[in-house]
Amino acid sequence: MWREIWFLVTRTLLTTFRKRRTLMLYFGLPIAGILASVLLYSSQGPTELRVGVVNEDAGEQIAADTVSFVKGLDHVTIVNVTPDELKDQLAASKLDSGLIIDSGFSESVLSGSPDHIAIESVKGAQVTAYMKSMLYGYIDNVTSMGKIAGGDAAKFKALYDQYRSADFKLTSESVNDTATTKDMSYQSIGFLLMFMLSSAVGLSELILKNRENRTYFRVLSSPINARTYVLANIVMNLIVMIVQIIVALLFMQVVFHLDPGIPMGEMLGLLALFALVSVSLSLVIVAFSKSSAMAGALQNLIVPPTCMLSGCFFPISIMPAEVRKISDFLPQNWVLQSINKLQSGESFGSIWFNLVMLFAFAVVFFLIATYKFGRNNDTRNFV
Amino acid sequence: MNVLDIRGLTKKFGDFVAVDNMSLTVREGEIFGFLGANGAGKSTTINVVSSLLRPSSGEIRILDKDIMKQSRFAKMNLGIVPQDLAIYEDMTAYENVSFFAGLYGLRGIKLKERTIEALDFVGLGDKAKSFPKNFSGGMKRRLNIACAIAHKPKLIIMDEPTVGIDPQSRNYILTSVRKLNESGCTIIYTSHYMEEVEEICSRIAIVDHGKIIAEGTKEQLKSTITDVKDIRIELKSVQGGVVEKLRSIPGVRNVSQEDHVIRIHSDAAVDNLNRMLKQLIDAGMEIRSVEEQEPNLETVFLTLTGRNLRD
Repeated sequence: MWREIWFLVTRTLLTTFRKRRTLMLYFGLPIAGILASVLLYSSQGPTELRVGVVNEDAGEQIAADTVSFVKGLDHVTIVNVTPDELKDQLAASKLDSGLIIDSGFSESVLSGSPDHIAIESVKGAQVTAYMKSMLYGYIDNVTSMGKIAGGDAAKFKALYDQYRSADFKLTSESVNDTATTKDMSYQSIGFLLMFMLSSAVGLSELILKNRENRTYFRVLSSPINARTYVLANIVMNLIVMIVQIIVALLFMQVVFHLDPGIPMGEMLGLLALFALVSVSLSLVIVAFSKSSAMAGALQNLIVPPTCMLSGCFFPISIMPAEVRKISDFLPQNWVLQSINKLQSGESFGSIWFNLVMLFAFAVVFFLIATYKFGRNNDTRNFV
Repeated sequence: MNVLDIRGLTKKFGDFVAVDNMSLTVREGEIFGFLGANGAGKSTTINVVSSLLRPSSGEIRILDKDIMKQSRFAKMNLGIVPQDLAIYEDMTAYENVSFFAGLYGLRGIKLKERTIEALDFVGLGDKAKSFPKNFSGGMKRRLNIACAIAHKPKLIIMDEPTVGIDPQSRNYILTSVRKLNESGCTIIYTSHYMEEVEEICSRIAIVDHGKIIAEGTKEQLKSTITDVKDIRIELKSVQGGVVEKLRSIPGVRNVSQEDHVIRIHSDAAVDNLNRMLKQLIDAGMEIRSVEEQEPNLETVFLTLTGRNLRD
């Protein structure tokens, strides 16, 4: 039987994949998916904050130092502007925020009640929060010195000079921020899951196409029986899925340099299990379809919506709690959950329940398809 | 030796009996004509013989082996040429034949030789690398045959192999059928073209309502029709309504018209030729010739089933 299966598998693979269009469809699209998530997340890296500064407390040491402090912050560029220019440039989005130091700011800090300083932005907290937290820390320090000096200018100067010239021993150690690459690879896998499901349905659909062109019945009139024929389709489908996974993971790591934060072997194992689920689900779709057109329609009805609900296209955390409950019944969600756990540092063994769930999905789908196939007995189109 | 032996075959679809206790024997070396109007049960019979359908009851033996018990042996010795083309449009002619021959366990050089042999046999040797989508209807039909014969089956079932093709391809196929038969293949041949069946079949069975209603050589079948005469009248032009008027004449069983020729199927015992001619003359039609023909297979079929083969 395996000799016959292998014969059917090799012949079908050769015929199906000699077309460039099919190669693009099965292997090019998952790569395009990875590219899409790379582009999607590339805008989330560190950005430069453009701050317009209006210093109307000019000539005062504290005001000048405050401006210098802001200038020294990472990823901040300052531009000295007038109040009118600030308004115009904020409105035109040429500046992200504005720091307005009014006359009397330095004095207010010295007196222990900082005032006459404001931060403006039309983009809201997302651009002002960082500068506020850093700047307020600095002002608080200087204010504390003002309070300690108790209005004594000489004492404040001594404290302030000491503060400015403080000799800290700072040891820094750089760590890579892997959050973005993990997000990118997570989303790339999301796209891959959808393409795997679509590919599986496309390949299982060959059974229906062969029924439509009647070659299926010619095959069944040979010593090949229906079980061998369907088994060959499953094997062929799994081979394509595995190659699809390997190609996608290779491109992810080698070409796009995306480290998913999970050992490749574990990722391959997890996705191979999902390949089994994809094939079993595709067989259910085919078993319930009377034509390839109907299978295509069912695929459109099932694959994209379930992928969306499972978080294949965007993080599931942004969806309402009720929708998240639905995703528990979707195999894609169990894969993505597993990836999330593995990325958080959990071991492969600790996701055993997710793996069992995926296997259970595959078994249930296979059983449904087998039951339905057993009840199909349509030979009317052959002779 | 019997190549095919069907005993008491019944196939039901729910309450509908498609094949009703049919028994049939096809001997080695025969070209066996299997005739029946649409829905008579011949396709169901072929589907059961080719193991695509399970019989409700009865026994089928191919080369003396029960097809249910020794399915693989039966299938290895059977080739099916379906009425509707069953070929892959995205495979070349060579790949098509090679694929289907490979299903019978042929591999390597033997597979290659048999594939080339089958393509040469149907006259497509020079088109081996071409795709069927570029073929004419006749070429596709020939490829359909090549796919069924490359594994050299003992029994070939050909269902309407010449339907809808040009006369040249039709002649080629009929010659191929004879050659296959001469090379030792037993052939079951179904067709709506009576002249084809008369020309090539050594024995014929007529099936109606799932039963064999007549079986024998064409001469034997024709000899059973003694109570019917077949009259052919050629007219200069045919007026509307004349067919209905002729049908109302006592003894007339069936009237058909093809261009300027009217064929009347009537009881031999009733002397009604003069009334027929009078009817035509009264209607103002000019008669060119009148001929009483020997009963042919079509007459036999019509007499036995009350239907034309194309109904």
